[in-house]
Amino acid sequence: MSRRYDSRTTMFSPEGRLYQVEYAMEAIGNAGTCLGILASDGIVLACEKRITNKLLDEIFETEKLYRLSADMVCSVAGITSDANILVNELRHIAQRYQLQYQEPMPCEQLVSQLCDIKQTYTQFGGKRPFGVSLLYAGWDPHYGLQLYQSDPSGNFSGWKATCIGANNAQAMSTLESEFKEGITLEDAVPLAIKIMHKIMDQNKLTAEKLELATVTRSDDKTKMTIIPREKLEKLISEREKLAAAEKQK
Amino acid sequence: MSISEYNGSAIVAMAGKDCVALATDTRFGISFKTVSTDFDRVYKMGPRIYMGMAGLVTDMYTVSARLRFRLNLYELRENRPVAPRVFFSMITNLLYERRFGSYFSAPVVAALDPVNGKPLIAAYDCIGDLEVVNDFFADGTSTEQLLGICETLWKPNMDSEELYEVISQCLLNAQDSDALAGWGAQVYIIEKDKVTKKTLKARLD
Repeated sequence: MSRRYDSRTTMFSPEGRLYQVEYAMEAIGNAGTCLGILASDGIVLACEKRITNKLLDEIFETEKLYRLSADMVCSVAGITSDANILVNELRHIAQRYQLQYQEPMPCEQLVSQLCDIKQTYTQFGGKRPFGVSLLYAGWDPHYGLQLYQSDPSGNFSGWKATCIGANNAQAMSTLESEFKEGITLEDAVPLAIKIMHKIMDQNKLTAEKLELATVTRSDDKTKMTIIPREKLEKLISEREKLAAAEKQK
Repeated sequence: MSISEYNGSAIVAMAGKDCVALATDTRFGISFKTVSTDFDRVYKMGPRIYMGMAGLVTDMYTVSARLRFRLNLYELRENRPVAPRVFFSMITNLLYERRFGSYFSAPVVAALDPVNGKPLIAAYDCIGDLEVVNDFFADGTSTEQLLGICETLWKPNMDSEELYEVISQCLLNAQDSDALAGWGAQVYIIEKDKVTKKTLKARLD
């Protein structure tokens, strides 16, 4: 372990690793899970809420889901205060593009520009990287509905279904077997609940611990709908019934 | 002609009883040459906030785009539509930033207060002097004509039907005396439950 190469974010280790970036990803691996599935007619984002103290005042609509522009939303996993900075920057990037070109910003470009900023923290300055991974769900007229993921290194990629945060490896392997091409939103939402239910095995999945949103297009507008608590409770209890039935077989 | 008369425009906003109307002409000209006869000067900035802009058209585009930028960020951060009085302040701030090199375009905003449904009209000069008026306001190249006829025809507490008739007659007759404005009119009547847009035929000269 070459610890002497740890503290400088901007230096490689002899094995060719950037330790600070990897440590940032460690931090995210302990944070609340975020799952995204790109269906043919919409995108579902499901997030595990970690802050569920009953003394908390509910000022914000959502804890992990943020609107970035009229056509894009994102969910975050990791250090919330770092996430707030990045979300603010994303909103400004999108508006600057809209001001300059009088057109909404294409999804990939928004992700790409933020990732360029994140990358600079791994190469210059001596500041630590942001301890946040993000899932972006959006629509643009060039490529339709899209789902992207970015991490502290500044890498990003487009996905049909992906997961970040705690237990993401388990979720990804389940997605690999259960995700079908051409899945509709109607099936994607229960699938998301199923996976969240599976990975939050130790802590029981309840509607208070879950935030679920769908991104759809209708009437030439992009809509982000946050599923209300009653509907979530219904979906979760349906899932639990199915799980109990499967166990009995 | 001065720079704010270069493109020509006629805008009037009028308050009624729990309703407000905004009317603009539809001529876009380059000095005395008419280039477009169906030019849109009105921007919707909120569910019951409509902004018409008079003056130089290139500045109209820039001011409204910059305002849209600030408004979008506001609504994303605060997670709610902007309140009319806050929006009025936003405009003042944007225009005054250019105090010594101003935009040559000024907005006229017609809005309905979301809390009590009362009409709000915001009047500006090109460097952001805000006055909230409760009768009517006019701007553009036909201001004198518009103010004269509005003073005569306006009365308080008109319902939306009468307000529409009055504002239409004021605009159509005022712009007829102005070479640089006219060629049609757009009237927006903003009420609590709906917003109606009407396009009027005018003298085509």
